[in-house]
Amino acid sequence: MSAIRTENLVKKFRRVEALSGLNLDVPEGAVYALVGPNGAGKTTAIKILMNIFGPTSGRAEVLGVDSARIAGRAFTSIGYVSENQESPEWMRVGALLEFLRPFYPSWDRTLEDELISQFDLTRDRKLGNLSRGMRMKAALASALAYHPKLIVLDEPFTGLDPLVRDELIQGLLERAEESTILVSSHDLAEIESFASHVGYLEQGRLRFSEELAQLVERFREVQVTFDGPSRLPEKASESWMQLNNSAAVVRFIESRFEPERTRAEIRGVFGEVRDVTFSPMTLREIFLAMAKTGRNAA
Amino acid sequence: MKQILNIFRKDLRQFWREIAVSLALLATYSWNDVRGWAGERNVGYAGIGGLISYQFLSGLVIVLLPGAWAFLIVRVVQGEALVGDRQFWITRPYEWKKLLAAKVLFVALTINVPLLIADVVLLAKAGFPPSHYLAGLLWMQLLIALILILPIATLATVTATVVQMILAILVVALYMIGVAWLASVIPSSSFSGPVNLLEFALLIATCLAVILWQYARRKTATSRWMIAGLALAVALIVAATPYSAIVNHEFPRIRPGDPLPVQLALLPADSSQAAEGPDKEKEVVIQIPLSTAGMAGDAIVVLSGVKVSLEAPNGLRWNSGWVSYGQTELFPDHWGTQVSFSLKKAFFEQVKSAPVRARISLALTEYRDKNRREFVTPRGDFLMSDVGACSADTAYLREIHCRAPLRTPSSMLITSDLSANTCPAREGESRAETRLIVRDWYQNSDSGPAEFGISPVKNVDFYLWARNHNGARPVVAGICPGTPLLISNPEFVRRIGTELEINGLRFADYRLRQFSTGGDGFGFVIR
Repeated sequence: MSAIRTENLVKKFRRVEALSGLNLDVPEGAVYALVGPNGAGKTTAIKILMNIFGPTSGRAEVLGVDSARIAGRAFTSIGYVSENQESPEWMRVGALLEFLRPFYPSWDRTLEDELISQFDLTRDRKLGNLSRGMRMKAALASALAYHPKLIVLDEPFTGLDPLVRDELIQGLLERAEESTILVSSHDLAEIESFASHVGYLEQGRLRFSEELAQLVERFREVQVTFDGPSRLPEKASESWMQLNNSAAVVRFIESRFEPERTRAEIRGVFGEVRDVTFSPMTLREIFLAMAKTGRNAA
Repeated sequence: MKQILNIFRKDLRQFWREIAVSLALLATYSWNDVRGWAGERNVGYAGIGGLISYQFLSGLVIVLLPGAWAFLIVRVVQGEALVGDRQFWITRPYEWKKLLAAKVLFVALTINVPLLIADVVLLAKAGFPPSHYLAGLLWMQLLIALILILPIATLATVTATVVQMILAILVVALYMIGVAWLASVIPSSSFSGPVNLLEFALLIATCLAVILWQYARRKTATSRWMIAGLALAVALIVAATPYSAIVNHEFPRIRPGDPLPVQLALLPADSSQAAEGPDKEKEVVIQIPLSTAGMAGDAIVVLSGVKVSLEAPNGLRWNSGWVSYGQTELFPDHWGTQVSFSLKKAFFEQVKSAPVRARISLALTEYRDKNRREFVTPRGDFLMSDVGACSADTAYLREIHCRAPLRTPSSMLITSDLSANTCPAREGESRAETRLIVRDWYQNSDSGPAEFGISPVKNVDFYLWARNHNGARPVVAGICPGTPLLISNPEFVRRIGTELEINGLRFADYRLRQFSTGGDGFGFVIR
């Protein structure tokens, strides 16, 4: 069952195509990280899901509802927090929560108190006087206090200090079990610590979308050592990225790593070699490699 | 309902300062209005005291109060701005109908209800029991909502900030200047009664459509296009309306054999008026004097519009198109009137000595004077039927000043013979020794139960004056206690059109150095 599903979603802003046929599937219960460089179309995709924009073509479903119909009561099941969302700055934190409470039948006063305490928020502080981090915490508290089925976070960690980021992630993880979370970010280190799924968006296209564990498992930095001088093969596997060599060593990144199959492929391309090592990669390293290569690793 | 009240309470908390300012201005307006009834209207203050004078305050508050209301409307609509994609509320469970209802409730309770209360207080203070005028009071609120609140709210829904709103108002102001200019260059466009109604209906319909569309969909581009469409439609209506045909339809030619309510004929040129004008003048004013005769004793004829067509022997032609603003009234005791129009000097120079054929088309509105009754102006305060509470002012203006509830009289004519005037003569004035009839006709074409405005108490002044004939001493005029008046209520009878064909007109004989309203009757300039 999908919490979010898009089909060939296209969004054009005049001549600029921000999304080019996006097919996204976020399973229910997942913590889905939508990552990609600036301008990849992450925010546009999320805004279409939240019915802030309409798509140029294609369609999207959120919690089983056509995104074009997401309005009013539909938002009682969705918590949306965005780094560039305006907040009612004249309001105090307590007044904001008090104002929002009647909108949500499932608002949980106990949870509200817990979130206030956990995020170290002060009820009588005006939102306009809060730091960026504290404002994000207030926004997150106001989006979590009603047990939303879907939490959508658009670049929530941008510009926050590590302590605040940890607090936000901690607050989020404690609610992850009851919700599906879609979070867009280019802060890969944080994503890696809590995402269950990851999708990589580039130039409006989803380059891949899969479980994070599988992704990390299938990427390896490979080092092939020869007895003599190394040479680059004329023809290599499509899953090898960033092939380079120096002295007796050839290095590349394998994007479809399976120990036996990869070894066999190496043997097939290079023949007998002195040594082959496979090093696991961090998410950040994988995405840097993806971004530099700009090729389809899916 | 819970959501509506929740949003309403939030808005009250957010905009209490704006509300306080508008309420303070409304209180100031009401206080000053009451002050005006007590005679402060005509009192001037020197120096700093002038800042609290009735005139200064009324001029100031009449601008500031609608401004404060407009600001409040803009702020509350933009409190949940409909333009943009970053507003916090658009991803919250707001239901658009409830949001709109909350905003309507806010405007109603912070603008309409205080105004209604102020109006009730003003009516009561003026001596009119408010319970007798409930329908009119509600009508006033409807007019305020349609004419002031709705257009401002519409612009607020398609702008994100107050600055954007100010720019939008500037654009609208420029557009209105442009349309006014367009109307001024289109012949006959001053006759546009039904067209104005169509434009108003389009305005209201578009405003409602934009507001509903914006709240339901937040498609600002579409809404702005709708407003642009309205602007284009109005401009097209102004440009393409067959004004001449409308006038011909509204003022049908009198059937052969039917008597005209007034017989008009050309009078010889007044040689004392004709003169050479300064060379730098770009336009030359021509004044055609006409005699009037044959009017029934209770008839009143209003020259509602005139069209002048000229044809010179050298083939030159000119047509003024229909020109409104007549209200030139002809009474049975009048002996004449005049039609004045201005020509480009170059055209005048070409035709001034040639015998010109002129066709003067007249749009006439006929009234019958009804319900005549004699009335001697009392001293102090008194009630005048069809008007309201009145008093005769001898100290300043020698007039009857009345306070009328909700609206001014539809049609009230005051006639007086100045030879029986009771006002004390001022320095330089002489008393009329022979019968000299003067009139003041108060007309109001608005047929609604109340007029548009902030105050429900309308000021009505009746004043009589006599034209000063060529340097003669001014005669004692005005209305003072004891002045005998004949009051009547002229009733509309019909509209008709007629034509005067004049051959051999020499413009040089009818040229007027400076436009003047000398003689009985009135002149009006056709451009």
